[in-house]
Amino acid sequence: MAKKYGMIHDENLCIGCQACSIACRSENDIPESVYRLQVRVLGPKKLPDGNMIFEFHRQSCVHCENTPCVTVCPTGASFVDENGISLVNTDICVGCLYCNAACPYDARFVNPITHAPDKCTFCKESRLGRGEEPACVSVCPTEAIVFGDINDPTSKISKVLSQRPTYHQRADLGTEPKMFIVPNKKGGIQS
Amino acid sequence: MNPIWGSMEQYNPIVWPWPIAVYLFLAGLSAGSIMVALLVKWNRHEGEHNTIWDAMVKAGAILAPVTIIVGLLLLIFDLKKPFDFYWLLISYNFTSVMTLGVLALFVYTPIVLIFMLLIFEDTIRKVKLFSMLIPVIEFIKGFHSYAKIIEYSLFGIAIVVGAYTGFLLSAIQANPMWNTPVLPLLFLTSGVSAGIAANILVGLMFFKSSINKESIKYLLVMDLRVIMTELPLILVLFVGMMYTGGDSLVAAKQALSTGYWAKVFWFGVIGVGLVLPLIIAFTALRNHAYKVGYIMINSFVVLCGVMMLRFYIVYAGQLFTGV
Ligand code: SF4
Ligand code: SF4
Ligand code: SF4
Repeated sequence: MAKKYGMIHDENLCIGCQACSIACRSENDIPESVYRLQVRVLGPKKLPDGNMIFEFHRQSCVHCENTPCVTVCPTGASFVDENGISLVNTDICVGCLYCNAACPYDARFVNPITHAPDKCTFCKESRLGRGEEPACVSVCPTEAIVFGDINDPTSKISKVLSQRPTYHQRADLGTEPKMFIVPNKKGGIQS
Repeated sequence: MNPIWGSMEQYNPIVWPWPIAVYLFLAGLSAGSIMVALLVKWNRHEGEHNTIWDAMVKAGAILAPVTIIVGLLLLIFDLKKPFDFYWLLISYNFTSVMTLGVLALFVYTPIVLIFMLLIFEDTIRKVKLFSMLIPVIEFIKGFHSYAKIIEYSLFGIAIVVGAYTGFLLSAIQANPMWNTPVLPLLFLTSGVSAGIAANILVGLMFFKSSINKESIKYLLVMDLRVIMTELPLILVLFVGMMYTGGDSLVAAKQALSTGYWAKVFWFGVIGVGLVLPLIIAFTALRNHAYKVGYIMINSFVVLCGVMMLRFYIVYAGQLFTGV
């Protein structure tokens, strides 16, 4: 069976250190001032019991199953590969930015070198292509990020998914992301 | 200073800036003006004039190709990879409204160019510089017996072009103001309105000798009807957003009440674009009075209004998403 790559971001384990973002930049040669990945640190928020929390929001492509970016792309430059990774073929991209406009997750930016949209590729062209784990997963000091094949019931990601409650960012849009978020338990679950 | 997660520059909500708004305006105007020219050509058979000489037909014949070509050039140079634009012509994705638009324009643009050649045949024959076009005209005239069918098809494809500019935006689910079936209708009607105004303006300025007052009056009445249709469409657009609730409701409220774009909406789109033409129609031009000065002012005002509508929808639609 084909692989279906997915990722989990655990908001309890994440400490907002940005190590993932920096590793992503260096492994994938991301030009200055643009990002495939940021971890937004929101807060601190005061809880009813007087405690305070930060929320750590992963800002990147969520690898939708129903991909608005692919639907609108006029040339087929935006596509999903055989393993469910949403990608851009910069050769046939005209840079109309219809995909950027259509992406509900603000996941895409214009790469200043290729002039085409760029985004998280699950490190396909770099580490994953060499059989390694994506850079963000590899460096995370708290193991807040889990990556793997969700079609394979024995994979780590499938196990975590079966044990932890997860939610999707903007689930209302029906995009069916393959990015699963483990909600912050402190102060009750919210999405 | 940047937040700790880095620069926010790439998260600018305006992905499609002003050239897109201008393109949407020009494409709508092009479709509108050729539709209006055809209507005049078909409807105004009475009288001694052959309708083909009507200033409104000439204006449409020249405006439709010029505006669509200028619009397309603007669009191409706004691409991030303008020199790769040919991929649009050789690699298709039929779920993309942009692909469907490219195909429609692929048919539309040559036909409006041919229409222009035929309407201006006499002028072309007189000017030496254009002499290489004469064989083209002769060739096209060989298909003379299909003229009516081609005109009807042109009218049909103009409707497609006018409406597609709306579908282009309405395909984007993430922006509530765009993600509504009202948008194609609104863009089509306001495109017709712009077409009427532009034809009248160009006709009065450049083809004075062939102006037919009856055509102008016919068009002014039509414009009034179109504007009266646009008002409820805009109302439906916002009422729809409000009833959808959630993000849409928030977006609608913000778009109508916050900052610069709310002012553009109330003063520009509604005030200048729709109310002012109605006032002019019911005062200065009452009872179909034929006052050239007011007719020109009216046309200019209508064009400004339609342009502002495109800008408002493009910008407010991206800025106010309710999240
Ligand atoms: S998050 Fe955006 S870029 Fe990623 S697959 Fe979904 S629509 Fe496409
Ligand atoms: S910018 Fe490129 S990838 Fe995005 S929709 Fe346009 S052609 Fe497709
Ligand atoms: S999977 Fe790779 S490309 Fe995607 S955010 Fe992580 S490091 Fe960056």
